[in-house]
Amino acid sequence: MVKNKLVLSAMAVLATLSLAACGNKKSSASSSSAEAGASVKLLDNYNNPAKANAAANNGTLKIAEANSSPFQGITDPALASNAEDSDVFAPGGEGALFNQDKNYKIINGGLANLSLNRKNNTATVTVRPNAKWSNGMKVTARDVEYPYEVIGNKATTSQQFSADFNDIKGMAAYHAGKAKTISGFTYPKGQSGNVVVIHFNHMTPSMKFNGNSFMWGYVEPYEYIKNVPIPKLAASKQIRKDPIFTGPYKLNKVVEGESTTWVPNPDFYGKQPQIKHISINVVSPNNIDKAIQSKKYDYVSGGLQGTDYKQLKNLKNYHIVGSPALSYDYFGFNLGHFDTKTGENVMDPKAKMANKNLRKAMLYALNLDQVTKKFGYGMSWRANTLLPPVFTNYYNAQEKGYPLNIKKANQLLDQAGFKKKGQYRTLPNGKPLKINFGAMTGTSVQMAEYQDFLQQWHKIGLDVQFAGGKPMEMNSFYAALQAPSQNKIDVWSGAWSVSSEPTPTQIYGQDATFNMGHFVSAENTKLLNEMNGNKAWNNSYRTKIFKQWQTYMNQQAAVGPESFGYAWSPVNQRVKGYSVSPADNNFWSNLALTSKNIQ
Amino acid sequence: MWKTILRRILIMVPEVIILSILVFLLAKAMPGDPFTGSINPKADPAQLHHLMKLNGLYDPWYQQYWHWVVHLFHGNLGQSYQYQEPVTRLIAGRATNTLWLTGFSMILTYALALPMGVFAGRHEGKLPDTVIRVYTYVTYCIPFFVILVLGIWIFGYVFGWFPTTGSISTNATTWLQTIGSRFYHILLPAILGALFGTVNIVQYLRSEVIDAKRSDYVRTARAKGVPRKDIYRHHIFRNSLLPIAAFAGYSITGLLNGSIFTETVFSYPGMGLLFVNSISYRDYTVITALVLIYGILNLLGTLLSDIILTLVDPRIRIE
Repeated sequence: MVKNKLVLSAMAVLATLSLAACGNKKSSASSSSAEAGASVKLLDNYNNPAKANAAANNGTLKIAEANSSPFQGITDPALASNAEDSDVFAPGGEGALFNQDKNYKIINGGLANLSLNRKNNTATVTVRPNAKWSNGMKVTARDVEYPYEVIGNKATTSQQFSADFNDIKGMAAYHAGKAKTISGFTYPKGQSGNVVVIHFNHMTPSMKFNGNSFMWGYVEPYEYIKNVPIPKLAASKQIRKDPIFTGPYKLNKVVEGESTTWVPNPDFYGKQPQIKHISINVVSPNNIDKAIQSKKYDYVSGGLQGTDYKQLKNLKNYHIVGSPALSYDYFGFNLGHFDTKTGENVMDPKAKMANKNLRKAMLYALNLDQVTKKFGYGMSWRANTLLPPVFTNYYNAQEKGYPLNIKKANQLLDQAGFKKKGQYRTLPNGKPLKINFGAMTGTSVQMAEYQDFLQQWHKIGLDVQFAGGKPMEMNSFYAALQAPSQNKIDVWSGAWSVSSEPTPTQIYGQDATFNMGHFVSAENTKLLNEMNGNKAWNNSYRTKIFKQWQTYMNQQAAVGPESFGYAWSPVNQRVKGYSVSPADNNFWSNLALTSKNIQ
Repeated sequence: MWKTILRRILIMVPEVIILSILVFLLAKAMPGDPFTGSINPKADPAQLHHLMKLNGLYDPWYQQYWHWVVHLFHGNLGQSYQYQEPVTRLIAGRATNTLWLTGFSMILTYALALPMGVFAGRHEGKLPDTVIRVYTYVTYCIPFFVILVLGIWIFGYVFGWFPTTGSISTNATTWLQTIGSRFYHILLPAILGALFGTVNIVQYLRSEVIDAKRSDYVRTARAKGVPRKDIYRHHIFRNSLLPIAAFAGYSITGLLNGSIFTETVFSYPGMGLLFVNSISYRDYTVITALVLIYGILNLLGTLLSDIILTLVDPRIRIE
């Protein structure tokens, strides 16, 4: 039992990790209309008709953070590597720079405004003049720059450095330890002014969006932390015990690993929050349902499962609010290897899974509609593409994906010459075909899903077995898949979380080490490049390319979509103003309470 | 006796060295590393490699071991990869929580089990004995995590008498509130631990009491007309404590081990939870530090048990 919990927690970390890194202010993401295949439709906000009142707002908003381990306690997003830290320190605003619209596009009105200049290859960040830290210090241009120093420092503990940062002039030299500062940052009004200009080698359309990999979306209090050596920053009291914030709330108290409490930040530049106290407590996912049922919390941040939904959906006085998550489950096929010399993925025409018909047949054989319905309780559904529907613009709802079609699967295999010999099919050359399915250990529900997959594959005459005889522990699973060349796993079930800027080059690019199936094609490279090519500054063109890419990937069936899911939470009916829309930039200030106690 | 203790401590040195090498190698033998687990489309693999290199994780094991030992002698157990803070500080925080919980739980356990054991032994075969025996067997049969889950459900959620998560309330500010809140938070898990952890002590004590009742010195004392109460208090009880004293050393050093089940169910950040998490995150520095601490505590535990034995039983002398 303990083991399962463990792996689950690790998987939850894996699945939610980049949420912490992306630019939106809340860890849950949203949209309202695009969950095409979902059997349960959720609203992305709770429209509470009751009136908020001062007495109620004087109370405490109680939030549960569903997580099986204590949070790490790192308040700075540049150093934190887990979603739980981001969740429990969210009321402080995390120093987020930009406001965004529902498509995560950066808009004016936040802590700073952004303007991109394609001619000069610059991005200008202008901090609002009245922006202050919660200790009264001004937010300066240097505060915008310092996280780049922390992330790019040679001895940093941060995991956030992305190769795309090297597009900033001088970053490569700084990152290598050859320069003391990053030359690509200039300060027209001085370092303590409010304007910073970032000089790039080239500009890309993804820079328009929060969570892109070229720019960092948060500030750090340079004056406050400058005396702490960067490698020791994550352990310092300025980051852990007495952190300062730019958001609507400031930290009242943090109990290491357990809870945080918040009070309004009088120095906040924007709309003052209405609720006077907030507490966030870590609650074990094992008893989160009971905690909500006994009305201990107003709502939940962190991951809730489909089984929780089954328990909570009919709970009196709670409303389920959610939107498609920034993640998707997929089936990967091993098609080649990673050439460590050239740093590129290479497809092997002789690979076991090289036959497109075989891959398509395997995907058509699965009954994902029923599996997700039975085990997801409506909180997950069969995915039709490799881009989650939370991206309302880019998501290609027209794609059919791979619904169950045993007849077609058999036809495809027959056509390709995989003839049945006894119980199972053989390779076209008559040799036996044994396919190894890689899966991660998880809950009993996941185990049942895996068994169903195997059963379906057996139905079309494919001899598919668990790689290594049983599901693998997460670390072993990824250690195996990330090897430059491996033949242990032929097909696997995995999950990706995506940033709020969804260009998938880091997962499916020719030189991507995370391209663990090693699928490469000229067309794929072209489409991936086009997503951020010159023409893609035009939004409708960019949208078109994203949709084309999804269609193309479905045609190739090198990676098969498995399922999408909701990021959701029950919300108590005394809460007013709750919304998980990415466009809700004043989430914390908009929240209010309509009664003193949880109802 | 002091000479023996000193010798025992000296023998511990090679034991600890061998233990540390084993621990170190076994931790490294686990598949994965502290950074692979955090792969996501935004984490750059190059940066993860950079971090691996920076932390010397690509060095041969003997080099890594040597660095670790050198740091160890400077009182530096390294930096946790997961928590990004010194392991010593991390463990100190968790150890405090765990000591509160296990310490209180142990006191309660002994407070419950000692009278029960003596009482059962004294009334051997009669109703109280049967009741106590059935009670201990029943509590022994039920898996502890079931009790915990039931306990937190009934007393935490249904009745709402006890807090259900964490080690301290978010509202506790003053010194008194802090102590009170901490105590309140460990009350339920400690009571459950005590109620369902009595079987060993009760059974040992009971059978020792029964044995002692029939021994010559008790008969003599009775013949001399010593009151029953005094016989139990002065003669039987002290002698019956021997086997329990033998465990006491382990119990005391075992306080730090924490309870994985309790800490998981109650989201109580202690040593047990830290250990389990550090394994799933491949937080090598924390794993090795914890296992080393546990190993040393076990060695100390045996020594302590022996010392306690000589204190309670004048017949035993370590030479």
